[in-house]
Amino acid sequence: MLTREQNDLLTASGPGTPIGRLFRSYWLPALLASELPENECPPVRVKLLSERLLAWRDTQGRYSLIDEFCAHRGTSLWVGRNEENGLRCPYHGWKYDWTGQCVEVPSEAEESGFCQKIKLKSYPLVKRGDVLWTYMGPAEQQPPLPEFEFATVPSNQSYISKRLQECNWLQALEGGIDSSHTSWLHRGDLERDPLHRGSKGNTYNLQDSRPYFEVVESPGGLMIGARRNAEGGKYYWRITQWIMPCVSMIAPRADHPAGGHFWIPIDDENCWVWNWDYHAARPLHQEEVEAMKNGGGRHVIYEPGNTFRAQANKDNDFLIDRAAQKAGLTYSGIAGFAMQDSGIQELMGPVVDRSKENLVSTDNGIIMARHRLMRAAKALLEKGARPPGADPEHQRVRAASIVLPPDQPFKDAASEELKVRPGLKHASV
Amino acid sequence: MESESARMTTAAEARFRINAPNSQPRSVKVIALDTPSQRVIAQLAKGKWNRTSFFSTATSGNSIQLKDLSGRAFDLEAEVANANLVVMIASSGENSQAAGIIGEACKDKRVMTTALVLGSEAKTDEALSKTLAQLRPHALMVVIASAEEYIEDMLTALRA
Repeated sequence: MLTREQNDLLTASGPGTPIGRLFRSYWLPALLASELPENECPPVRVKLLSERLLAWRDTQGRYSLIDEFCAHRGTSLWVGRNEENGLRCPYHGWKYDWTGQCVEVPSEAEESGFCQKIKLKSYPLVKRGDVLWTYMGPAEQQPPLPEFEFATVPSNQSYISKRLQECNWLQALEGGIDSSHTSWLHRGDLERDPLHRGSKGNTYNLQDSRPYFEVVESPGGLMIGARRNAEGGKYYWRITQWIMPCVSMIAPRADHPAGGHFWIPIDDENCWVWNWDYHAARPLHQEEVEAMKNGGGRHVIYEPGNTFRAQANKDNDFLIDRAAQKAGLTYSGIAGFAMQDSGIQELMGPVVDRSKENLVSTDNGIIMARHRLMRAAKALLEKGARPPGADPEHQRVRAASIVLPPDQPFKDAASEELKVRPGLKHASV
Repeated sequence: MESESARMTTAAEARFRINAPNSQPRSVKVIALDTPSQRVIAQLAKGKWNRTSFFSTATSGNSIQLKDLSGRAFDLEAEVANANLVVMIASSGENSQAAGIIGEACKDKRVMTTALVLGSEAKTDEALSKTLAQLRPHALMVVIASAEEYIEDMLTALRA
């Protein structure tokens, strides 16, 4: 349970808010690189942390993320002409370079220097992996570029997608770090989904629907272990990593790719869910990529158009199939891991009222995550302390599924498996 | 036509969520398993709680007795019988054998258990292993917390 004030603190991410300021301490995924596929391609509207922005790629291939609106009379530069090293507003011809600097105001004499007084807010936009990342904080506090492994392996070893989720970022993140729902919400999908089936770990999951949990703080966030009984008195652990503020890494199964998510606030009632799958030791198989493109695992099939919105969404009641629910094919009636999560979280309302919650022991991962977020936001506000998760060392970690002896802390027994080991596959069962 | 889900997940509709209590206060027993943990719960007990009781333990052979902060004795079985949740506080490396006795009592009565381990950063891995070995069979959830302040946040979140 949170008070209304605590809930407001953790869910509001616009300019000037504590959590907004926290998010501005990190590099955040802003677009897929494929959204700006070539020099002078059409600009793309982007809304992040409640700011309307425009992304574009100039004549020389420089990526730009600027205020969406022309400084003259405020029309959207989305209709702008991307040419000759700039973006020109078609209304009166004002032209901006990739830094947001106005370089031409046709109605003013060049000698007047007027255009030099006009500069749109801009943020750096850099390509790392197949993602364009931005940093929206003070320039002098910019952290090193992100080092998440999925973005540093060769492209053919990684698959990234994004989708619109129509609710606040925090309830989406909390769903992502809560392992206890797997045996319920995703029941029926573990052995059917092509990116989950065939794992010995699934057998442990299905034999033991009452896992025990362990939450441990890590330098960048948390490690959340779900343990089930394995043979010989050992434990089968699935260890999720949460890297602050909004990244989860999920333990793989068998030799399937390992994956995770970012949840990036668009505004207080919507977020982007970034989904990745990668294999550290080999290219993805064609059938794995096809499965992801066809909505397998954590990915979705999109509705027509370029919205990045899932085909199953709230406008069609998530294509709920009550017959399938009754027959036990899906537990919720909603098909697919991704929309099972998204649908459940969107049905909480745009910003869930946590004052009405009744949490239980197995929610300690969520409780600890809120605790760490509030502390980090407070420390940043009061002391300017860089929050956990911004250091690349905190990002060079992995989730793991592993069988361990019963008495050892998993952070020690699996310390090698929980960090990035370039070229070596994930620890997986 | 807009689907019902689209209509009902708006901020406007969220205003109509019933404004009535949806639960009764939970009975939580917080038990310190060792001396350093007793200091922690003595501080916690000064806060404002709903139906939460704080105890230390005195082990005698295969049984333990609970004592409140004024030293009054309570019967473990009776306290567990009227608990919804038992929270055990342990310090890394200290003797947490009482967890076994408490865990069995909770198992018999089907009461949920959570264990918090404090002070692991100042102790060795072997010390933490020893404590985990004693706690894990008896706690559905184990939290290894770096800061004592977390316990108050956790109890508040659980409506203790």
